[in-house]
Order: sequence, then structure tokens, then C-alpha cells
Amino acid sequence: MSDASYKFEKSGRTLMEQLFEPPAVGKMSLVAKIVAYTFLAIWSVFVLFPIYWVIITSFKDAAAVNQGPFYIPFVDFQPNLDAWRAQFNTDLHCDLSSILRQLYLLVHNSFVFVVSPVISLTPMEPQICKIYLAFTNSVVISIASTILCVTVGSMAAYALARIQYKPKFGNILVFVALIVAVIFATTYAGIPWWASSAVALALFFFLVRSIGRYFRMALGNGDILFWIISQRILPPIVVVIPVYVMFQAVGLLDTHLALIVLYAVANLPIVVWLMHDFFASLPIELEESAQLDGATRLGIFWEIVLPLTRPGLAATTLLILVLNWNEYLFAVFIATVKVQTMPIMVAAKNAGEKGVFWWEMCAVIVVMIIPVILMAILLTKFISRGVLQGAMKG
Amino acid sequence: MAGGGAASVKFDQVQKSFGDVKVLEEFDLLVESGEFLVLLGASGSGKTTALRILCGLETPSGGQVFIGDRNVTDILPKYRDISMVFQSYALYPHKTVAENIGFPLKVRKVEKSAIDSAILDAAKQVQLDTLLERYPRELSGGQKQRVALARAIIRRPSVFLMDEPLSNLDAKLRGHMRAELKHMQEALGITTIYVTHDQIEAMTLAHRVAVLEKGVLQQLATPAEIYNNPANLFVAQFIGSPPMNVVHGSLEGEHFQTNGAKVETAVSGRVIDGILGVRPEDCSIAPPAEGTLDGKIYTTELIGDHTLVTVDRGTDQIAVKASKDFNGRQGDNIGVVLPRDHLFVFDAITGYRIR
Repeated sequence: MSDASYKFEKSGRTLMEQLFEPPAVGKMSLVAKIVAYTFLAIWSVFVLFPIYWVIITSFKDAAAVNQGPFYIPFVDFQPNLDAWRAQFNTDLHCDLSSILRQLYLLVHNSFVFVVSPVISLTPMEPQICKIYLAFTNSVVISIASTILCVTVGSMAAYALARIQYKPKFGNILVFVALIVAVIFATTYAGIPWWASSAVALALFFFLVRSIGRYFRMALGNGDILFWIISQRILPPIVVVIPVYVMFQAVGLLDTHLALIVLYAVANLPIVVWLMHDFFASLPIELEESAQLDGATRLGIFWEIVLPLTRPGLAATTLLILVLNWNEYLFAVFIATVKVQTMPIMVAAKNAGEKGVFWWEMCAVIVVMIIPVILMAILLTKFISRGVLQGAMKG
Repeated sequence: MAGGGAASVKFDQVQKSFGDVKVLEEFDLLVESGEFLVLLGASGSGKTTALRILCGLETPSGGQVFIGDRNVTDILPKYRDISMVFQSYALYPHKTVAENIGFPLKVRKVEKSAIDSAILDAAKQVQLDTLLERYPRELSGGQKQRVALARAIIRRPSVFLMDEPLSNLDAKLRGHMRAELKHMQEALGITTIYVTHDQIEAMTLAHRVAVLEKGVLQQLATPAEIYNNPANLFVAQFIGSPPMNVVHGSLEGEHFQTNGAKVETAVSGRVIDGILGVRPEDCSIAPPAEGTLDGKIYTTELIGDHTLVTVDRGTDQIAVKASKDFNGRQGDNIGVVLPRDHLFVFDAITGYRIR
């Protein structure tokens, strides 16, 4: 025992401590509070003002925009429905109730579209306005591609989280070499692609079975995961021309199918990456127990794993939905006429020599952001904590 | 739904290695039908691996596993007719107690009405019938444990596996659940294999105990036999609380020599590097110079019905169970009497017992 002692105890608080030290663990000091809330207040203005500005601009006319800036409706300027009227069929009588009815029709018909699996759009009613077409396209494409992407992606992520794959490096090289051979045979030797691919496939299985066992070096799940995420390394602008040529070759330009598949593939790495973490964090005993209880692998995925990863699934779905909804670059190349989406509608309001139709653009933007807000509210109900509580000891 | 009642279990030369690490070496074990067998070992001894091989969550690197006369080495867990209670209980958190218990029948497409009555049956057996609508997060540790039990018994499997099922309960509840488990196993008559590192659970529950260490079966015998007649130094030290005293020295003929003292033993032989083992309750305290060995009191602990006296002899410490009114003080000289017939001698290097 040494006599040295270290005492830090004290009572009472000096003024500086009252200002700069939190009164209790888990609280903030006065100064920190002021700084934090000031920052948050400023940030809120940054975030909320554009939304306010978009909404009021959609009720302005050309004069109110060009002579502005006017900030407060009814005080600075007289709001009107010109911009909104222009979006909907001009043949119709355009008052507020008919606009609301149009909006209702948009939502209603979108759902009709979603439930019927569509590939190319059925003929539109002639008096239907362009925004209706774009909105429906956007809804159909983003929902369908999100479902496809999240379904395939989460199944892949689950497999990678639970099954150990050990693809041999040599076999992969053989596969790549055979693909190169097929390309050469088809382009330079004039062999039909189906013949060369069939030969290559047969050759692949033969080679894997015969020399495959001499390969030692193997890849693991981590490598596969990295390979999948690496699909996002190339910026979309780099791949958009090849993608365009590819869809042109198979005759799918300007179809819903093209955009649905394209969006699903483009976002697949994000889903796999995110969901893999959620699946990996599930206690494996739940699945083992279900296996002993007699459930099949698909049954376990459906009955045990999916309900328990619901928050993660909801968050991922929301993210992908928003990414798809806002996607512009691929759409502008692939969707030339029939399947134009909302972002293209927005961009189209920049009408060249006449300048930007800000008021109309803002009306389209309002239509575009309402569903996103609704989806976010709907899905955050699922993004709740505590689903796993009670699974394990304690 | 019940199979053909209880079944025997046989491990035949089962091996398992993960990479270069051998966790189970030529493991042979025959569990009789209806028997309660405890696999006892420290962590890393291979006991859980053996259990996981039996239920099919792990594939053996060699050897075969039989349930009854079926070779189950290569079949999926769900076809083995076994159920298991996990250490963490592994309850499905999004399902109610009733849904948890009924899950094994539901996935096997049993009729709804049959499931419901089976759930009630199993729940009554573990006194859970009032909590059926709750979720696992609303249950206490002991109740969760019961749900896991009910889920395991609802199918009336031919083999019942438990992986340290009581280790997450507090001491009092553990004792209570231990008694219930034993009662239930006896009543149902299902072959049970129970993995634990807790020797008290092993002693109290088992018909027979299999002691495992480093993937090798050390001894397979009744609890009394394991306690009274340990096969080697490991078993001797693993079983018993407080553990068996070890005194280092050498065996010359019928005398064990240690640190200047000579102890008469029942066995004879010649071991240069030997260990003398004696259980604390077999030793007794004597005045200084009157015991078999002498030492100083290191510390005394009043346990309740006895006092545990630790005697320091420089090279070794010997724990002795003395009467509860023992009043020696730390540092006092004291003697320890070692009865000749309760001494075990082991080879310190191999751990073999000298008989």
C-alpha cells in the first residue's frame, strides 16, 4: 500500500463550469446547447426554404417570377393556377376541383398500372396530359425495379451471409478465357453465337471437372461481395452509351422493361451491400433452431429472417425507391418518347430559347416530391428498432 | 407426430477438424435409449461440436452417427427427429409464445387444430399456459427457457439435445430449472444429451457423464464413479467443488514424497514427477506436527455448514473442509491429515492415474 492518493472530488460549480460543463451525464452544457440549436436552426432554413420556394413559385405567373423575388403569397404577389393548369389537359375546364380530380386520377391509375404487370404502356386517352404519362411511368418503373432489385439483392445478400462459397480462381480464369473465345469465334470466324456459346459451356464444365481440382487458390464470400460492390465503381455516364447500344440491339429502347431492368441492376450492389450487414448481424442460432424444427431454407428466409430484418429492408427499399424515382441520366438516354419519367419532365421545362419556365417546373417538382414524402412517412413506420429484442439471452 | 419413442444414439469414430485444428478425435459414444447423458468439458473441449454433429448443424470430417439404427451422418437436421434447446434459447422474437412453441409443427404442415392442442399440452407441461399470447421480450429469463423447452418437447422427438440451457439463468432459478428438467426427462423418457461445463449440473442430472477434453473422451461413467474413481488427473481436477487438491512430489514404492514430507499411499510404484490428489472433504485438520503434512493457514472461508481452510505449504496449497466453528488465524502453523485410502496418485506429465 502506498500513501499516495489522487482525489478529484469537489462540490459546487463555478460560473465557467455552469456554462461549459454539462450538469449531468447525458445532457449538454448551456453553451453547447446554444451552439447546437443555432446551427440546427440555420440548417433547417437551408433545407426547408427551397421546398417553400418551389411551392410558392408553382403558384406564380411569368411576371411574378421575372419581376421578383417575391416571398409571401397574397402580400408580395397574387397566386394563381396558371402553372398548374398548363400541366393538365388544357381542353378540360381547369379549376381547383378538376385539378384535384386529375391528381386523384394520377394516383388511382398508377396503382392500376402497378398491379398489372406492364411491359409497354397501353394507349393513353387522348386528352390525358403529359404529366400524367410521366407520373405513371415513374411510378411503374420505380416500383417495379425496386421490387425486382430488393428481392434479388436481399436473396443474394442472405446467401452471401450464410453460405460459404469458395470459387476457384483458376475456374474463373477458364470462364473468362472461354467468353473471350466465344466473342472471337462469333465476330471473326462467323460462327453463330448460340453454337459457340454451347461449345464453350460444354468445354467449361469439362475443364472444371478435369483440371479444376488442380487449382488451389480460391476466393471467398468477401471477394464476391467486393466484386458486387465494384459494379458501382464506374460512373453511370461512362457506361450509358454501351447500355444504350445494348438495349438498341435487343430492341428494348424506350420501353418500361429496359428502365426497370437497368435500374434494378444499377442498384443491386447497394441492396446486396446493405442487406448483407443486416443478415450477418442476425443471431445464427435462430436459423439453426428453425432448421432443426424442420423449416426449409426458403421457409427460414421468409418466416424468420425477413420479419427480423424488416427495418433494414424498409430502409433499403426506401433508399432504392428514391434513387429510382429521381434517376435522370439513364432515363434521358433510354426513354425517348413513350416512357419518359418525371425528372425528364422537370428538365423539359427548360425550353431552350424561351428560357426556363420556372413556375411550370416548380409545379412538376411539387407533383414529383409529394409521393417521396408519402413513401418516407409510410416506410419509417417499419424502420423501428427493437425487432430483435428478446431473441437471445437476458 | 411422435417418432418411435426414444432412440439410442451412437457416435462411431467421429472426427472433426476445422482446418488444422482437431476438435474431436475418434469420438466413440453409445447413449442408451431413454438415458440422460451429460457431455461435460471446459470450453473448447469439443462437447458442443459433438452435439452439433449429432443434430446435423456440422458435418463430421470422419466417422458415422447413428440415431436408433438409422445412419444419420449425411441427412439434413430436419429428418433426424431431434430437437434442441440452445444456450441462447433462440426464440423467434417476432412470434408469440404460442407461435414459438407451435413452430416445429407448423412448418411440418400439421393441422391447425392439432397444433393448437399440442401447444396447450406442451405449455402446460412447463407451466406456460397463461403466457401464450406474450412475446419473448415480455418474458423473464426463466420463462424464455421454458418456451424453448416447450418448443423442443412439442414434437416428442426421439432425441432431445440441450446446449448449456441453464447457463443464462441466475443461481437460484438454475437450481429450480435443473430439478424440473430432471423430472421432465424422467417423465417423458426421451433420450437426452446435455452439454455443460458446469460439473454440478452434470453430477445432479446425468445417468452417465462423458467428460471431454481437447476432443478426447476422458471418462464415461456414472456421476458417483466419476467422482469417486476418476480415470485421470484431468477428470479428478474437473469434478468437485472446491476442486481436488494436488500436491507435487514423487512416488517411491508406497510412499509419496513432497517438500520434505512422506505420505503413505495405497498404491505403489515409482513416479519421479508425480501428483498426489486428495479431495478437501477427505482431509482433516490436526494440531501442528501431528498431521501427515504441515503448513501455515493461508486463509479461511466460512461457507456455512463448514469452513474451508487453505493451508500453504510453499510449493502447494491444500484446501481442507473443517468444521464450521474452526477458528484458526491466518499465518498459524497447522497440520493436515491425509487418509491413506482416499489418496490418488497421478503421473504429472501424462496425467495417468497410478493404480
